[in-house]
Amino acid sequence: MPARTDLDLSDPVSIKGTREFDAPVALVFAAFTDPKHLAQWWGPNGFTTTTSHFEFKPGGVWRFVMHGPDGRDYQNRVTFDEIETNKRIAYHHGGGEEDLEPVCFAQTVTFEDLGDGRTRIVWHGVFPNAEMRDFVIKEYGAAKGLQETTARLAGYVATMARS
Amino acid sequence: MPETDRLNATFAALADPTRRAILARLALGETSVQKLAEPFAISLPAISRHLKVLEHAGLISRGRDAQMRPCRIDTAGLIGVDHWLEEYRKLWNQSMDKLESYLEVMKAQQAAAPKKKSRSVKRQGETHARKD
Repeated sequence: MPARTDLDLSDPVSIKGTREFDAPVALVFAAFTDPKHLAQWWGPNGFTTTTSHFEFKPGGVWRFVMHGPDGRDYQNRVTFDEIETNKRIAYHHGGGEEDLEPVCFAQTVTFEDLGDGRTRIVWHGVFPNAEMRDFVIKEYGAAKGLQETTARLAGYVATMARS
Repeated sequence: MPETDRLNATFAALADPTRRAILARLALGETSVQKLAEPFAISLPAISRHLKVLEHAGLISRGRDAQMRPCRIDTAGLIGVDHWLEEYRKLWNQSMDKLESYLEVMKAQQAAAPKKKSRSVKRQGETHARKD
């Protein structure tokens, strides 16, 4: 399966991806901190983003609508949990209001300065729902021990996706 | 069940190591509850509760035979997870592609309208321009 090489699915409760950019870390970080920038790149192909509220600080909320190519609007709400300039942004999706998808899932984006004006981004998403998050925190080590099991499960998911 | 509820149920079901072990066993083939319970140091009723959670999450289905009720992997729950993963993958991969292009725009803007800190960058740019 192409284009999956940068995704780590070995842990069933989280998902991780990496990407390197030919740009200094301060610039890459800046692209995440302003809705003017975010509007230029956030979302899958064919989507546009309209921000109604943006407060980039711990506890601050980003409210936005993603306009899909099929004409559907997707209400989004992101709450920033932790921010370390040029290093890390932790946030979670969902929660709060009725017009939003009831999925709550936590996400961390880390920024690594690779030198020579290059930057690596690592994004790490933790699957929705509170039990799942608690499980990750409490039993991450145990989950790693079950990698064989989960790799088989991931393989099975992949097989089914093809059939 | 609405898709997001099903997804939450599926993720909750997958969060438990015993239930993942049950799924791994069932990935090898259909089997009875008794056989499933053998490798686990928990009671049959406890196994049954796990199976109910897995069934509700669309991860397994159970046969109609009242005595045996054999368990097998079901596709519905896993297809939901795979669909969600695909959406997630698409969001990030495509956003990162777009970010890559947009960073070039940001770099150009920074070079064109330097603030105090980036003056040296502009000078480099000018030097290149003169050389060209």
